[in-house]
Amino acid sequence: MKDKKGYRTIFGRFKSIQSTIMVSFSVLMVIAMLIFLFIALHFTKNTIYENSVNYSSQIIEQVNYDIDSYMEYLINISSIVSKSSDVSQYLYNEDQTEEETGEERERILSQFVTIRDSRNDIYNIAAVANNGRSVLNDGSDHFTEYINIKDESWYRAALSSSRGIAISSSHVQNAIQESYKWVITLSRALVNYRTGKNDGVFFVDLNYSAISELCNNNSLGDKGYIFILDENGNIVYHPKQQLMYGGLMTENIDQIMSSKSNHFLTKTGDKLYTISKSDITGWTVVGAIYTSELMKNNKQAQMLYFLVAAVLLLGVTVVSSIISREITKPIRQLRDSMSLVEKGRFDKANVDVTAENEVGSLSKSFNVMTERIHTLMEQNVYEQKQKRKSELKALQAQINPHFLYNTLDSIIWMSEAGKSEEVVLMTSALARLLRQSISNAKEEVSIGEEIDYVRSYLTIQKMRYKDKLEYSIEMSPEINHVRIIKLALQPIVENAIYHGLKYKETKGNINIDGYKLGRKAYITISDDGVGMDEETLAHIFDEKQKEHKANGVGVPNVQKRLQLYYGEEYGISYISRKGAGTVATITVPLDGGTNDEKKDE
Amino acid sequence: MKKRMNKEIRTGVLISGIVAVVFLTALVLLNPQNQEKKVYKIILIPKIIDSTNGFWSSLTAGAELGAEEFNVDLEVMGANSEEDVKGQIRYIEESIRKKPDAIIVAPGSYSGTSDALQDVVDSGIKLILIDSIIDRDIAEATVATDNYLAGRELGEFTKSLLTKDAEIGIVAHVKGASTAIEREKGMREGLGQYEDQVVDIVFNGSSYDKAYALTEDMLKKHPKLKVIMGTNEYSAVGAARAIGDLGLAGKVKVVGFDNSIEEIQMLEAGVFQGIIIQKPFNMGYLGVQQTVNILEGQPVEKSLDSGCKMITRENMYEEENQRLLYPFTGQQ
Repeated sequence: MKDKKGYRTIFGRFKSIQSTIMVSFSVLMVIAMLIFLFIALHFTKNTIYENSVNYSSQIIEQVNYDIDSYMEYLINISSIVSKSSDVSQYLYNEDQTEEETGEERERILSQFVTIRDSRNDIYNIAAVANNGRSVLNDGSDHFTEYINIKDESWYRAALSSSRGIAISSSHVQNAIQESYKWVITLSRALVNYRTGKNDGVFFVDLNYSAISELCNNNSLGDKGYIFILDENGNIVYHPKQQLMYGGLMTENIDQIMSSKSNHFLTKTGDKLYTISKSDITGWTVVGAIYTSELMKNNKQAQMLYFLVAAVLLLGVTVVSSIISREITKPIRQLRDSMSLVEKGRFDKANVDVTAENEVGSLSKSFNVMTERIHTLMEQNVYEQKQKRKSELKALQAQINPHFLYNTLDSIIWMSEAGKSEEVVLMTSALARLLRQSISNAKEEVSIGEEIDYVRSYLTIQKMRYKDKLEYSIEMSPEINHVRIIKLALQPIVENAIYHGLKYKETKGNINIDGYKLGRKAYITISDDGVGMDEETLAHIFDEKQKEHKANGVGVPNVQKRLQLYYGEEYGISYISRKGAGTVATITVPLDGGTNDEKKDE
Repeated sequence: MKKRMNKEIRTGVLISGIVAVVFLTALVLLNPQNQEKKVYKIILIPKIIDSTNGFWSSLTAGAELGAEEFNVDLEVMGANSEEDVKGQIRYIEESIRKKPDAIIVAPGSYSGTSDALQDVVDSGIKLILIDSIIDRDIAEATVATDNYLAGRELGEFTKSLLTKDAEIGIVAHVKGASTAIEREKGMREGLGQYEDQVVDIVFNGSSYDKAYALTEDMLKKHPKLKVIMGTNEYSAVGAARAIGDLGLAGKVKVVGFDNSIEEIQMLEAGVFQGIIIQKPFNMGYLGVQQTVNILEGQPVEKSLDSGCKMITRENMYEEENQRLLYPFTGQQ
């Protein structure tokens, strides 16, 4: 996967096209899969992030809107109460009788009670005039003597506000006796109808039930939460306000207050803040989502991608192994059949053509080619055989003129010596020999006939060499009828005499034994002549070896003919020891006539 | 040839299999959230379970919020009296039988509970001390106010209230409790040259009524008594109630430890001149946090100071102090 050179080396290592194809497929698939994974993961992450920002922004804006409408509603209530004539009269009309003020106070208190009873998010509701008159809750609570309510920030804020309305941050309401509650105060300036000036404050202390409900109703995942900051960055509401106040938890308030975008990731990247600012309250609603939770979806997507990738990879490997096997199947067949051809087995070399593609035409050409080679080879073998046979025929017709001359010479000598009996014997043996060599035009004779021929030959030779040659023939009658090519034995015997016994000082023996073993007939020609060294033995079937040719037919010629007729497993084998003698064994099949030689006839 | 090829194919399939397994492993590793976090079982034994007591209820609330935050199964058990050391030992023994992962204890005695706490450690349960310490260093960690420093700060503040011959009385809570010992030591240190004007010290066993009675007795015994120092909420409130009821508010000055609505009211009313408040909520929360850190094998500070703050009438309305004085509980 590094460079082209590396590629080649990698491919070079494979021992088959199939695995090359399979591995290449798999590697390509892995690369494709990794690219796909990278893009998909990246894309999913971004999409999830963007969706979260959008979703969170919508929720935060909704919460902000809900808080605004909640505050608007309370402002409306405050407007109704503060503008009622009872409140104005009670606080600022100093000319009324005590009875009138008492009645007004009762009516205001009952209104306050109604409001407090109907809404559980209101702790305190009160109207305070700068002249010291006040109405608080149901009339049983009192302002504390330790604090001047006019110094309270929420009181002053209402008076100084242009709208005459102020919404405080969260604070402890210290102004009421024996009550120290964390509240948000909505305060509204009261106008003295006599002077037309802001001359007091109507206020409502809100607990957190309504706001926390608004914030908690909208979930930002399992762990995400919503909190509210006032315009100075103080906490108005936080689901873990106690931890915030205890300094056990912090939010990136500075960053939130200075952020220009409506969302940002914290520096550590663990939280996503979404921000929405309200014009009515001046508050900032912030949604905090843990990125780990966001990425849970991402993780699930990742899991799916990896799973699909793994399954695909396995699938592709299996399929590519099947495909590569199918693709290379004809090539492998071709290769197997080629190796058969290498061994010369043309009969089974034909390849089934299963495809129309390049390999198919290759197979077709291969079949045509092997057939042609086969035909050519068969033709060649046939021609060779024919050539050998014609050679043999030509040779068979001859009888060694030296032998004939020597024999006739011997007869003359014997006649002159008056050995008429021996002359008769030798002449008849010669006559038999001559008749046998010319009478039979067939290429094969029985072993019995061949032995008769050898016996005639040995008769003549024994008479010629007298005391120097002794022979014995012991043939098992079982093999007398077995067919053998003509002139197979005589050259071997002749070879034994001329190369084994001729150089021996003393009398030499030749023993010829014939027997059958298994499906083969064996004829051994053993002599106790001078024997051969290994060098001579190794080259005994070498045609070029200069040798004495009996009848013009040498041992190599016999060996060739035997193997040509009967096959490689038959023929002559020699065992010899220098100075001890030589054993030649001729092997022929028992059913010598049934092989393809017959067909040639 | 064929065999070798098959071998290569098998190797190929094997490699693909391995790649697939690697993918799956990467998958699992990418999802550490799949491994469910263990829910630890922690038992908290405060000195006392008393909902009227601002300190202990706040500490418990802090611990409970911590438990929620860190997903801990927290059980709170304890005696009805701070003096009941035997009772606390019984609860410690019961806790051991429940085989929690850790026990957070506010020991009621400096030495009385040590044997029982040794058993906790010997049982292989992590021991964390909160608020108070014991005579042995066997706890994994301690979360407490530095009581000596707090006492010294109170002593130094008290110095500003003193005139030359003013006699000082100390109303302490439980004799032998480490908090009482440390605070007294700190207060005496803070008083400096006025230390020898401390004429009396009484122990009330953390009971409002007993503190009230002991204060009355002390005033009878020492008519020139001008300052009373309370070492915890029970002591300070009991003493202040007595002063208030005797109409001596302002004449006999009271300073003390801890924070409750009653103390704040009396601070506003001028019975108390100053209170030093601990941060029990933080203490409870940090106690659980430390415990979880220990159980998870993270390094922790052996001794964690949860902090304290001197509150007077002048600074009590400051926002920062309001947050400490009035525990925020949301929907009150």
